[in-house]
Amino acid sequence: MKIRAQTKDRAQSTDYRTQTGKTAQIIWGLGSVFCALTSDAHAMHISEGILPFNWAALWFLVALPFVAYGIRRLKILSKTDLSIKPLVGLMAAIVFVISCMPIPVPTAGTCSHPGGTAIPAILVGPSISVLITAVALLIQALFLAHGGLSTWGADIVSMGVMGAFTGFAVFKLLRKLKAPLAVSAFFAGLLSDWAIYITTSVELAAGIRGDAPFLPLFTKILIAFVPTQLPLGILEGAMTAGMVSLLFKRRADLLVKLGVIKPEHAGGAA
Amino acid sequence: MEILSEHFKSEHFLSKVDARVKLIVTLALLAMVLSYKGTMFPLLIAAVSIMLCMKMQIPVKVLAFRLAQPLFLALVILLLKIFFSGKDAMFVFSLPTSHFPLLTLTGYRDGLMEGLLISARILGGVSLLAAVGFATPFIEFMGALSWLSVPKPFIEIMMFAYRYLFVFLEDATTIYSAQKNRLGYTGIKKGLNSFGVLTGSLVLRGLEQSQKTADAMEQRGYTGDMPLLKGKPLSTLELAGALLIVIFGGAAWMI
Repeated sequence: MKIRAQTKDRAQSTDYRTQTGKTAQIIWGLGSVFCALTSDAHAMHISEGILPFNWAALWFLVALPFVAYGIRRLKILSKTDLSIKPLVGLMAAIVFVISCMPIPVPTAGTCSHPGGTAIPAILVGPSISVLITAVALLIQALFLAHGGLSTWGADIVSMGVMGAFTGFAVFKLLRKLKAPLAVSAFFAGLLSDWAIYITTSVELAAGIRGDAPFLPLFTKILIAFVPTQLPLGILEGAMTAGMVSLLFKRRADLLVKLGVIKPEHAGGAA
Repeated sequence: MEILSEHFKSEHFLSKVDARVKLIVTLALLAMVLSYKGTMFPLLIAAVSIMLCMKMQIPVKVLAFRLAQPLFLALVILLLKIFFSGKDAMFVFSLPTSHFPLLTLTGYRDGLMEGLLISARILGGVSLLAAVGFATPFIEFMGALSWLSVPKPFIEIMMFAYRYLFVFLEDATTIYSAQKNRLGYTGIKKGLNSFGVLTGSLVLRGLEQSQKTADAMEQRGYTGDMPLLKGKPLSTLELAGALLIVIFGGAAWMI
């Protein structure tokens, strides 16, 4: 009787250990998966096939007027300045390259990649930036499988529209408040990255929720992105500030030409 | 950057097919994959697309690299759906502490089904796009986009971007190597600074190069518009082939 009770206890204990082990495995697995997901900045690009047809179409409709306005602006500008199209094309190539650069993210212990949309937003304005992002995203979708054709609209809205307009608005606002150039650029990069992160979470939660309520899933996705996106935003801010500072030191005339700073600031501290 | 599709194009059976036909078929099949309510059709498209890539002799390593990230996302979404979405509980895991469960994970059957559906869509969509990306050179894509009435300035910008992409990638690699050799990435502060300088240098080169490019083009008669190749009319045979694939796809979609 005693032996049977001991055997039962042992069996229960083994079950308990097995269950605990399985739970730990799942928790570890989920944690690793979240880290790996969030550690890749292409997570900012929503992959092909994630969004159902109706959501993919809706984001296309949202993105369309912004891209159309960007093209219209480009057409108007190119009538008086022949160098604008090469400039915009080269900026698209730079955004592509920047968004392929690996940056170490200490909190996730891996590498990630910046979005890079605040840079063109500061230099050429948000409407042309949407166009630049759309071009970079299409090349990445077609030839690198980063993002996708059906999710192109959603990616334009998050990276192009939200990223560029947030970065531009923050930069302009801080410059109006007389903040130094590097500080304004830092916060433009930082908040632009976080705006992309929040918008992507909204798009993902809305697209994959099915019958589940939106808010809990949105919160979970938002939390899943935290380990990477919070430090990545700071890194992106530093990168944007470094870029503007270098341009100011070496070719302040280009910043004046692009309307980033006023001519009277070109000679001294901006 | 040999991961870019362009590097693997060679003479294969799909290279002879008009890019416009490939694009139309891709868009039609993609719409079917996205609107399908089960897993079979997207998985069928994935299988056919991967077989096409194999037939085009795309190295397995390259294909695996291309599919790795989307597949990882698919796995994450599957886990998210299993554990955080659904009502029909399938299993429960709890991590007991002394007397109360610290964490309980419930797996849901309906969540699993939804997760599998999304994962199948991702696999189908990404494989299809990979196959068409490997089968079509960039410049032919541009012709197809032009034929689809994509605005000309957009295509021009894409062509400029693609032309200079490789130049900037090389520049970035050179600058990064030089910075690394000078211990530019030892420590967070130094690394941040170096990364800012790297980005700034790239943007500076971009701005200067754009002016040089515009000047050089202007001297060669550039007036603000780049001519694009006008594709010949689509052959009846190719159109019939495309229609047949779409009909077969549609039939499989309906089944």
